[in-house]
Amino acid sequence: MKKLFALLLALCMVFALAACGEEPAPEETGAPSTGEPSGEPVEAELNIMMSFPQFMDQWETYCDQFEQKMLEEENIKLTINLEMPSSGDYESVLQTRLTGDDAPDLFTLHSNNIATYYEAGHLTDLSNEPLAEKIYENVADMVTYDGKLLAVPIESQAWGPLYNKAIFEECGLEPPETLDELRNVVEVLEENGYTPFMLAFQEQWVPQLITALTLGGEVSGNLTDWVERMNAGEGSYTEMAEIFEVIDLIMEHGTDRAMETGAEAGAAAFANGEAAMFVQGTWASGTIMSTNPDMELGVFALPVNNDVGCTNINLSVSTTLAVHPSSDQMDLALKFANYVLDDEDSNALFEACSFNPLATCHTFEPASWVADANVYVEAGRSYKDLVLPTAVTDEQGRLLQEYYVGSVTADEMMARLDEVYAQAVSAAA
Amino acid sequence: MSKSKRTNLTLLLFCAPALIVYLVFKLIPAISGIGYAMTDWNGLSKDFDFVFLDNFIEVFSDKYFWQSVWFTFKYVAVMVVVANVVALLLAVAIESRRHGKGIYRTIYYMPNMISMVIGGYMWMFIFTQVLYYMADNWGFTFLDHSWIGDPRFSFWAIVIVSTWSMVGYLMIIYLAALQGVPADLIEAAELAGANSRQCFFKITLPMILPALTICVFWTLNSGFQVFDVIYSLTGGGPGRATQSVAMNIYEEAFRGNIRYGYATAKSTILFLIVMVITLIQLRVMKSREEEL
Repeated sequence: MKKLFALLLALCMVFALAACGEEPAPEETGAPSTGEPSGEPVEAELNIMMSFPQFMDQWETYCDQFEQKMLEEENIKLTINLEMPSSGDYESVLQTRLTGDDAPDLFTLHSNNIATYYEAGHLTDLSNEPLAEKIYENVADMVTYDGKLLAVPIESQAWGPLYNKAIFEECGLEPPETLDELRNVVEVLEENGYTPFMLAFQEQWVPQLITALTLGGEVSGNLTDWVERMNAGEGSYTEMAEIFEVIDLIMEHGTDRAMETGAEAGAAAFANGEAAMFVQGTWASGTIMSTNPDMELGVFALPVNNDVGCTNINLSVSTTLAVHPSSDQMDLALKFANYVLDDEDSNALFEACSFNPLATCHTFEPASWVADANVYVEAGRSYKDLVLPTAVTDEQGRLLQEYYVGSVTADEMMARLDEVYAQAVSAAA
Repeated sequence: MSKSKRTNLTLLLFCAPALIVYLVFKLIPAISGIGYAMTDWNGLSKDFDFVFLDNFIEVFSDKYFWQSVWFTFKYVAVMVVVANVVALLLAVAIESRRHGKGIYRTIYYMPNMISMVIGGYMWMFIFTQVLYYMADNWGFTFLDHSWIGDPRFSFWAIVIVSTWSMVGYLMIIYLAALQGVPADLIEAAELAGANSRQCFFKITLPMILPALTICVFWTLNSGFQVFDVIYSLTGGGPGRATQSVAMNIYEEAFRGNIRYGYATAKSTILFLIVMVITLIQLRVMKSREEEL
């Protein structure tokens, strides 16, 4: 008797562990919010999922404004459910929702994923919406696929490593243009008792930025067809061996305890002057400026070699907003998408989040570090962020962590990346 | 209906609520998962192809998967010993106290009630801030290690945090078992001249073997599925040095190439491994119990 009970208990426990990772049961989870009958002009609901919890307040305010606007103009009492999972988990949460037939009406996604999501039938064509006219052409390019405008760009960056202008000025330094100049900067900083680089490698997307910038630099001036050749299975990371000179320089002259420092902690330490440079993008400016409002933040282009032609700034569109085709509030969803680039209200939002201006309706003055980066862009010294398979991007970050702790060598890392790249290409085919 | 059948039915009815939940939410998805394991579904598309056993064949040459399996085995081996020894020690220590049993019981059980993700972040703060503060300001230089960044230390960091959270639960099971040991047996042994150590190893421990079976079973099980501690503490890093099987599967399904089909194949293999091991463990430990 006791045995039977124990056996049953044991069986239950064995089953309990079977479920890990095996949740794809699409039909079961769906509980879509049923639309109100159109005759009653009262209540409506919009579900929006976004990936930047750091701008929670700004977006909540913006959604409130939209609710207000709808009430006044359309006599619709709209309730917006704004969800903001942390950026690390965002994609997995979104994918679960999409496959579970529980898609949000609007959701953000990285511009690199537009093609995949479109092929899977999760994006609505926005080409004929009023917003399409307003977006700058070089930005619109990055959210267009198959000749259709598929998402509203929100975050666009012109970015490179950040530096502390006050420290540079004190040491009489200028932003470096070549690798030799960067070495000199490092040397002078160390002579003056400053740590050159802030290292915050705990989350793998931060070290990954170093490869994004160095590979991007090489591609912009040197190996312009590298990505195409990689996609065709004819390229190799060994062509990029040069980037390890910069990587080594950064890792050898950085702060201690890099693996214990997260992105936020790193930004705060950088703001407090613990290091002079930080390979992070302009998106970290929020944390930096709130930690130290007097910080003099600058942006420079990371040199990868001694060819100034490769020292360029990275131009990318990261977060974009898409409308899901199965939305049962399509009208409202499209209105919201248009409202994101509203002629009047969007200026305040973009300024509050320190996003870059990306449409003709944006008339605000960008922050000083954004203006810094724009100087490069206007001089034609910028390149479009490389679109690599996500698996490769992730692997770069992880391998850089391993490279930092010394469990992998540069040669092993390049061989491994070639392997992952080939796998990703064949998985996508 | 015979008497034994009737009691069996009664027992089954008592189990029914839990059993039904497990059937619907665990067993059925697990079985349908085997179907998905034979597809190349990417978790996003509406259509996918059957690839039959290709995924399973691919798993066998997946270096990182087996690396994570090896890590998980190491973790389970250490956890089964450490967690059970600590839990048993705590249970004996509390049981031998005259006063304040309730307070100690509550205190040691408390970590078990905190979500492991929160617990993980709390410990992250301890490992990355508090220990360094102590090392820098109080001269405790033996604490000045890369607790998260160096795989040698981060393994122990993970063990410490898991033990901290798991021990309370095991302790309760041991406490219940200890209270079931008849006092007259121990009294008789003491009269016969046995010291307290002999009493423990010759009488108490054999008497609580059923509890030990359950606790070892439970640590084995939860050990093989370890995810949240590692996720919140090291994220599997640096690189993949502290990646458990569950994390490897998660990564395959939700990160990078998003291969749901392949990830499901991996989890099916994990399921088989764990089932075999727990069945062996149950058989071995059960047979020892019956010798009593």
